[in-house]
Amino acid sequence: MWQATYLFDWAFLLPLLPALSFVIVGLLGPRLKRLEHGGWVAVGFGFATMVIGVWIAVEEMLSSGGYTDQQYTWFSIPGNGTGTFPNGFSLVVGTLVDPISALMLIVVTVVGFLVLLYSIGYMHHDGGLPRYYAELSLFLAAMNGLVLSDNLLEFFLFWELVGVCSYFLIGFYYEKPSAASAAKEAFLVTRVGDILFLLGIFVYFATYATSGSAGGWAANGFPFVQGNQPFLAGAMGGHSTTLTIAGLLILGGAAGKSAQFPLHVWLPDAMEGPTTVSALIHAATMVAAGVYLLAVASLFLGFTPADQLAIVAIGGFTSFFAATMALVNTDIKRVIAYSTISQLGYMVLAVGAGFAMVGLYHLFTHAFFKALLFLAAGSVIHAVGTQDLFKMGGLGKSMRITGFAFLVGGLSLSGIVPFAGFWSKDDLLASVYGTLATHPVYWPFFLMALATVFLTAYYIFRAFFLAFSGPASRDPTLPTAHEASWVMTGPLLALSGLAMGAGLLPFIPAFASLLPGAGIPPHYGLSELALSGISLGLAAGGIGLAYSLWGNGKVYTAAPNSALGPVRALLLRRYYFKDAYDAIGLRGLYGLSRAADFVERYMIDGTVHGLERAFGGLSNRLRHIESGVVLDYAAFLVSGLLFLLLFLLVIAPWLVSTGGI
Amino acid sequence: MSDPITTASFLGLSGALLGIGLFGILTRRNFILLLIAIEIAINAAVLNFVYFAAFASTPASGLNGQSAAVVLVGLAATEIAVGLAIVLALNRLRGSINVTEATSLRL
Repeated sequence: MWQATYLFDWAFLLPLLPALSFVIVGLLGPRLKRLEHGGWVAVGFGFATMVIGVWIAVEEMLSSGGYTDQQYTWFSIPGNGTGTFPNGFSLVVGTLVDPISALMLIVVTVVGFLVLLYSIGYMHHDGGLPRYYAELSLFLAAMNGLVLSDNLLEFFLFWELVGVCSYFLIGFYYEKPSAASAAKEAFLVTRVGDILFLLGIFVYFATYATSGSAGGWAANGFPFVQGNQPFLAGAMGGHSTTLTIAGLLILGGAAGKSAQFPLHVWLPDAMEGPTTVSALIHAATMVAAGVYLLAVASLFLGFTPADQLAIVAIGGFTSFFAATMALVNTDIKRVIAYSTISQLGYMVLAVGAGFAMVGLYHLFTHAFFKALLFLAAGSVIHAVGTQDLFKMGGLGKSMRITGFAFLVGGLSLSGIVPFAGFWSKDDLLASVYGTLATHPVYWPFFLMALATVFLTAYYIFRAFFLAFSGPASRDPTLPTAHEASWVMTGPLLALSGLAMGAGLLPFIPAFASLLPGAGIPPHYGLSELALSGISLGLAAGGIGLAYSLWGNGKVYTAAPNSALGPVRALLLRRYYFKDAYDAIGLRGLYGLSRAADFVERYMIDGTVHGLERAFGGLSNRLRHIESGVVLDYAAFLVSGLLFLLLFLLVIAPWLVSTGGI
Repeated sequence: MSDPITTASFLGLSGALLGIGLFGILTRRNFILLLIAIEIAINAAVLNFVYFAAFASTPASGLNGQSAAVVLVGLAATEIAVGLAIVLALNRLRGSINVTEATSLRL
């Protein structure tokens, strides 16, 4: 009935269709005024991509964990037994449909389509729409390529491509200096991670491409799987130090992309882009690519215990660290952005603790409820034209659907049963808790993650109450809010449904086959129930605190000399990380550039210009010899002749006689 | 047998001619005297050709030096013709044949 291999063969369409849309919209967009400058073309291609992507994912579910690898060899060099690649070397491109890439396909194509549809309404009044839809299509193509990559090099190629799309779209309002600088910042900070990632790839190559049981790795084009099996994980033994270093470098790459401490600074600033871009790229898909990389690496390459501890530490700490910064922010989008960093920290924590599948489970649910929160925030921004929470208020009455969507997203993010976030986050905490007996060193990071539950519930409901509760907006100059058309409310409702139901999907056995591993689906023994109780209690406490401080139009202001004042300032200054990086950039790098400029301008150019001036001056002097008087020339002639005679008759014989020559 | 005309005396004569010519070239300001000085210097060279042709191993190869002398005489005549033409032109242009006054041919 199901011809499983049939559709897998067409997986290459998933990157190709949006790429086609990129070309069409990019070239013809300005002429397609009646199609929203190509927007509807992009939506159409997005819909086709979603249909194929979900279909492939469903077939993957029914194939019970198979790996389908379509590979095309670009070129290959046979080995001669010696040299760097004794077994040869080849470059391949291919699509690998395996359980986790099928899971990612659902996220990317569904959220991608919904965001494209939402953009039709949200971006309607903006200029540069062909550019917007073309870049968004290119991003979808690159992201699909990333999750379908079957080898490390192809993965890295698409990794860079999503990065550059992110750069383009953060800088979409490039006339705004803050947007332009945020785009640069995002590009440069993630670039630090990319270089670490690339170094990690080199270490793997140097160690495994050439020798040992994985010697065929380079010959086969650095694939993740061989035949139907993950291939490297088993072959990776015996090089623990090298493997640790490579793992740490991969972690660096993932930290750059997923905005983990200490490379987290770019994500809040990335909110300068359109809200739709924040929802798709900086919440649901691209930033999750770092987690996906860690999951892929832990499955196919393998991490050492030291790597795992580093990953757990980074993830656990980031989840707490980012959540604290969300507590005080007044910008609705930035609150959600910090929340994204914090939730990505959860996923990193789970992958580090050895539960890659649980991390991906949270990635899956998070993509939906975080995209929902962003799109709801976008709907608010679209209606009232500000991102300042303290100017909003009372929007729940005039924007019922948006308010409902934000509430669903907030409850899901807080981990309230039975919303999607509850199942994945609870499973995640329970899984990490299960490792504490054997790894007591994980305790502090587990406690940080647990405390984050309280902070998360507090900050997201603070935002909710500030925006939606109360009698009316605090700034009377704001326009009267009203709900937008179906292209915006439709995606909100669809994502609301997913944010409610997506957490339950792994209880369906077929879907659970996309996440083969311990902890999927969650099981509830006594200790897990106790843990769920604690985290539910924390979340409820956070919501309660938020309500008591901000509910019903109240605005909490701390006493002027309160101890909270300096803390609040510290959090608003983002722990001075951005200032520190700016200082490094301005003082350190700029100073170095100044020194280089001095060498260039005064030492190298100075030499050249000095020589030029010296010869110029000399020839200026010599010019005055040219008097134009014939007798002067005759004098030169005769003195030259006399010198020649003197030389030939006196100096040369003298030199010869003394043996000087 | 002692030949009163020695090589040294001959070279002395042609050297003296060259010296006289160079002295004239450096000191005369009258264009015509300048030309005459040049002629004297050239004749120093002609004299050398004629003198050393007498030492040729065969009479035929001696003709080389003598014909060079004849060519040089012709060259000197040509040069004088051109020089005098310039003198006339200069005189017509400036009303003077003082070479130190004609300085417009410079950079």
